[in-house]
Amino acid sequence: MAYLSMGEAHRRINDYLNRFCDAVSNQDGDLLKRLLSLSSNNPSILSLADALNVFQDANRLIKQNDNYAQFGEILVHLFRAFQSFRVGSFVDSYQAFEKAANAFIQEFRNWDSAWALQALYVMVYEIRVLAERADKELATNGKSPEKLKGAGSFLMKVFGVLAGKGPKRVGALYVTCQLFKVYFKLGTVHLCRSVIRSIETARIFDFEEFPKRDKVTYMYYTGRLEVFNENFPAADDKLSYALKHCNPRNEANIRMILKYLIPVKLSIGIIPTDWLLQKYNLVEYSNVVQALRRGDLRLLRHALQEHEDRFLRSGVYLVLEKLELQVYQRLLKKIYIIQKQKDPSKAHQLKLEVIVKALKWLEMDIDVDEVECIMAILIYKSLVKGYFAHKSKVVVLSKQDPFPKLNGKPVNS
Amino acid sequence: MMMNQGGNAQTIAAVDPNSLENRHVVNGNQGQTPSYFPSTTGSEASAWPTHRVENSSTENGIHSHSAYQYNQHTQPPASSSSSLGTVNAPQDYSTYASYPNPADPYGYGSAGYQGYYNNYQQQPNQSYSQPVGAYQNTGAPYQPISSFQNTGSYAGSASYSSTYYNPADYQTAGGYASSGYTNQTNQTTAWNGGNYANYTSQQYAPYTPETPGVYSSATATSTPQNYQQHYKQWADYYNQTEVSCAPGTENLSVTSTQNVGCPVPGVTTGYQTSNSQPPPSYTPAWRPESSSSELPSVQSGAVVGGSHDAYWNHVAPTSQSQIQHISPIQAQFQKPLDQKTSYDSFQDQQKTATSQASSIQYPASQQLPYVSHSYQTPSQAVPSIDTQRVNKLQIPTNPRITSNMTLGLRKTDKDINTTSPAGKPAYISVSLPKPVEKVPSSASADSLLKTGMFPKSLRGYVERALARCKDDSQMAACQVVMKEIITKATADSTLYTRDWDTEPLFPLPNEDATNKELNSSNRVSSLAKFKRSPSRRSKSRWEPLPEEKSEKSVERPASLNSGGLNYAAWGHVNDKERKPLLWSAGSKNDNMSSAKFPSLEQKSASKITQKPFKRQRLSDGVGATENGDASSDSDAEQGLAAYYAGAIALADSPEERKRREHRSKRFEKVQGHRGQNNHFKPKNAGAGSLYNRRANALVLSKNFEDGASRAVEDIDWDSLTVKGTCQEIEKRYLRLTSAPDPATVRPEDVLEKALLMVQNSQKNYLYKCDQLKSIRQDLTVQRIRNQLTVKVYETHARLALEVGDLPEYNQCQSQLKSLYADGIEGCHMEFSAYNLLCVILHSNNNRDLLSSMASLSDETKKHEAVKHALAVRAAVTSGNYVMFFRLYKTAPNLSTCLMDLYVEKMRFKAVSCMCRSYRPTIPVSYVAQILGFTPTNEESGEKDSEGLEECIEWLKLHGACLAADNNGEMQLDAKSTSSSLYMPETDAVSHGDANLAVNDFFTRTPS
Repeated sequence: MAYLSMGEAHRRINDYLNRFCDAVSNQDGDLLKRLLSLSSNNPSILSLADALNVFQDANRLIKQNDNYAQFGEILVHLFRAFQSFRVGSFVDSYQAFEKAANAFIQEFRNWDSAWALQALYVMVYEIRVLAERADKELATNGKSPEKLKGAGSFLMKVFGVLAGKGPKRVGALYVTCQLFKVYFKLGTVHLCRSVIRSIETARIFDFEEFPKRDKVTYMYYTGRLEVFNENFPAADDKLSYALKHCNPRNEANIRMILKYLIPVKLSIGIIPTDWLLQKYNLVEYSNVVQALRRGDLRLLRHALQEHEDRFLRSGVYLVLEKLELQVYQRLLKKIYIIQKQKDPSKAHQLKLEVIVKALKWLEMDIDVDEVECIMAILIYKSLVKGYFAHKSKVVVLSKQDPFPKLNGKPVNS
Repeated sequence: MMMNQGGNAQTIAAVDPNSLENRHVVNGNQGQTPSYFPSTTGSEASAWPTHRVENSSTENGIHSHSAYQYNQHTQPPASSSSSLGTVNAPQDYSTYASYPNPADPYGYGSAGYQGYYNNYQQQPNQSYSQPVGAYQNTGAPYQPISSFQNTGSYAGSASYSSTYYNPADYQTAGGYASSGYTNQTNQTTAWNGGNYANYTSQQYAPYTPETPGVYSSATATSTPQNYQQHYKQWADYYNQTEVSCAPGTENLSVTSTQNVGCPVPGVTTGYQTSNSQPPPSYTPAWRPESSSSELPSVQSGAVVGGSHDAYWNHVAPTSQSQIQHISPIQAQFQKPLDQKTSYDSFQDQQKTATSQASSIQYPASQQLPYVSHSYQTPSQAVPSIDTQRVNKLQIPTNPRITSNMTLGLRKTDKDINTTSPAGKPAYISVSLPKPVEKVPSSASADSLLKTGMFPKSLRGYVERALARCKDDSQMAACQVVMKEIITKATADSTLYTRDWDTEPLFPLPNEDATNKELNSSNRVSSLAKFKRSPSRRSKSRWEPLPEEKSEKSVERPASLNSGGLNYAAWGHVNDKERKPLLWSAGSKNDNMSSAKFPSLEQKSASKITQKPFKRQRLSDGVGATENGDASSDSDAEQGLAAYYAGAIALADSPEERKRREHRSKRFEKVQGHRGQNNHFKPKNAGAGSLYNRRANALVLSKNFEDGASRAVEDIDWDSLTVKGTCQEIEKRYLRLTSAPDPATVRPEDVLEKALLMVQNSQKNYLYKCDQLKSIRQDLTVQRIRNQLTVKVYETHARLALEVGDLPEYNQCQSQLKSLYADGIEGCHMEFSAYNLLCVILHSNNNRDLLSSMASLSDETKKHEAVKHALAVRAAVTSGNYVMFFRLYKTAPNLSTCLMDLYVEKMRFKAVSCMCRSYRPTIPVSYVAQILGFTPTNEESGEKDSEGLEECIEWLKLHGACLAADNNGEMQLDAKSTSSSLYMPETDAVSHGDANLAVNDFFTRTPS
């Protein structure tokens, strides 16, 4: 770091303070937003942080001037946060920033119009990002990471500020989405429910009036929640909404949505094209899709095993595992077609031993009892129409549409 | 005495059954005005329930209250003659006995509340009832009330109990003196009792001399909440009567009118109204006067008027009798104006005074007994005493009072403004504590009220901490530290979440440090008190936040005085609380110390009336300096806090210290010669001192909740960990409610033997569970976390699994998780398999399942048990029953036990699936084999008929249609079964948890 003179430092700090006060008095949300975005590596903020580290008595500057002093609570803590951030102490930075943000929302509450919404967004975003970094720091120091949790409750507070009548309410969804991110990261998704409830039931919110960006994020997260609940139609709706409305040029986001949408679509019987998987680099699904097409149980199991960690972490493992029944269905259908070619009159009777043989051929070690059980389940879940005759060990298929397609409906459970 | 007991027993017998009728009969027997009872019965019966359930604001409810209590008071008549001579419970009643005539309704009310409170105390502190004989008595008959309280609406019992303690103070004081006194003094005691009821009900009224202020607040709150209001009004009435009584004659008129009012209505409603009216009518009349006479603030009067209006509306139907009442009462109150001040001062005195001072109090309080007992003769004497007292006391204390008063008044103004519009949303009785919190008319009351917010476990923690102290200074130091801890906990809102029971204690602070610390931390604490108020207030739903600021500013001028008072008051409380406890301990030691205690903090204050002056000056000085320090922060609150600190810091004045030293010397004598400064050795204190500390701890937990300068993390927990000395191998489990006594805690080597003993024991699970729990407890309190700990938890978890005690298993599992995470060796794999199975089979939460699956390492996944568990998971999620029952047969370790609990569900699913997909029939033998009733094909011979029978039974039980085919083989008719299949009601237990069904539990428990 180049040497910074005291005078220069003083000038920079004063300059920042001036701009801050101007931004507030002119209600310039855009400027204010830039002045607050701590983690953006904005050169002006970096240089300010350097200046603060040189010029230690910035608080005096704030107190001396009445203009600054009225935002003293914000500025003092903000400066601390900048300083700590600059020297890489994220825990301190987070703590200071949270105090600043707290003071900021107090002010924000008093501003009638929503001009500072952008600035609030930045605050909220920074809080979350800082908390994540602080937790990383805490974890490496062997302390329990708890800042993100604290950020969660702070964001709840911010949500409370926004969730009311008036122009500020359109900001509520942004905070909600940040909250989702916090909760998903913490693994406490059950906490999402209360926010979702207030978004979806409160009269003051009209979902359509929220910014598109937030709507897409919201739908993405709620769709993921539905995936956890294995409520596939709802998940399909939400994720499809997100896909439809998200920025088509942002491939990373599209990929994130597809990561959940594809398993959902698969489990309601809709298979994506290879091209889609290729384009968005979702190759982990290609074998799964292939297995579904071929009725190749072995391939499915291998694919699941291969990407087990990834699927477990993203939470789609159980969803994909359930595709097994559809693979069986496809396998039976293939056997049925082959039988039909040989002898159409007996095609609708599938002998258990044939199925066992087919599975053997796939190197699946499944004995007769188990296959019988699986057949029973297939019939039970309406993936196969017909019945099983225990005496003769034969699956008797219905003559009409023995393998009904799911057509967008989930497998009966 | 005997008679009295008889009377008591009678009432108890009658009341206990909880039937209203019975009580009335009893009343009649005791010769009370019979007209009263019949009239009230109806309302009583109906009113009670409603009152309890929803705190409804009907007059019925209120009235019934008083009526209800009435019964208890009827006892006295029977006993009065005999009991007068002795100081005891009976006396308490005796006064009431005499009481009823003059002040019928009020008497009931007060007693009622007293009883009401009694019930609260019964839970938190049993020792309580012992100290004051009266309590025990009252407690018993009130039992029925407790049942009503048990409805759970009064969740804030803790706060009640805490407030209760203070009043107890007064009472005991009375008791002491009375022993040497004549009949009249006895009555004084009794009256104190009544008084006490007051205090409790009003909570802060006694502490704040500014009764008018309190009163107005009471009315203010009254509008939204009837119960509360009356409550307070009764209490208020008492305050007022005290005042009015001073002249002696006035009261007569009051009471007589009331008497007239009561019997005349005859009808239930009539009576009720008349009964409840007096307070309202009384208060308005009184109110303006007091304000005009003493209190400079006129606006307050106006506001109060408003609130009264509301009140009047409320009581509208009763207007006639009210008017009657008003006139006499007004007359009364004009006169006693100056007496009122004296009363205030008297109250003041009570706070600052010691036991010696209390002797002065008695004459003062005699007034009432006079009034109630013999109307005219003593009245002359009373004034004289009164004036004496006034001479002595009024002068020094007056300035404080006035300041306090204005304070109270202004505050209450706000209260009225804020609370009355708050409306009357359906408050559930939980709201009771809230209004109380709302009107912190003085700091002492404030701090008092806060106590209600502490979790019980915290109290235990504080007790434990204080139990280690050896002398006063140490105790004080401890209190300081404790205060900090608590503040910290409050600040980061772990106060309720933290497990205080397991929280290790902090090291005992050094004495020198403490003295210094005391100052500073006191400052902090008082500051924190104010800082905290926002958060506390925000909790109370009916209060707008903005009010706060103004309140602070109002309180500020008064702080100088009230702070000083405060501390004294606290000391007072301290003492009194301790005494009862000591008594309960019963040893001579205790008695000795109990005698000493009164001399603690208050002695200095009480000896001479000058002292208050001194104190004040001192506090002034300290306050000033502190103020200077604080001013740098330019926070108004801190300045204010400094005042408090100064006042409180007085406790540290030289004389105070001397006294403490003196006392600690005595302690040394009692407890053997221990070095006074030997702070860091947690020792096994004698029972007596232990109790002292405990009592002190109780106070502390209320008193010092604030303050922060030392982080909990900085405390050296290791130096505080208990080292057990017990050599017994067998020990029953008892949940700790106080600091663990090293004498009953077993050291590690003994615990090891104990574990072995349990493992080899032939006794049943209940015994083993109990033993293991006590071992776990000993491990926890000694903070032993090693392989032995793991072994104990593993043993317990396995035992719990064997008998299907999932809750206990889960406890062990969660402990094991953290123990394994700390790298302590154990059967990690086995238990992660159990964990997995538990999540799969019993939690049914996909996210949990995913995360526990994701947390398995590759190495773990290769372990046999874990593999098995994962296979079970796959079988369950895919519904593959064949696989499930195969895995069931081959389950390693105790996995079978966990799977056992899922078997029923799986079988049912399987059968319903089979019935849907199989046609036309399924041989039962096949079902039996697939569903694990009979061994699988390979091993099966002809011997599986038993399993087959069981399977048939099971199928029948679930509504399956069975039929034998031509070969005589049982077949399951799939089609008809699919529609008739059902899950039979599992043997439901009334409380919903089958694991708790004792009989079932025993049958499942081996041996």
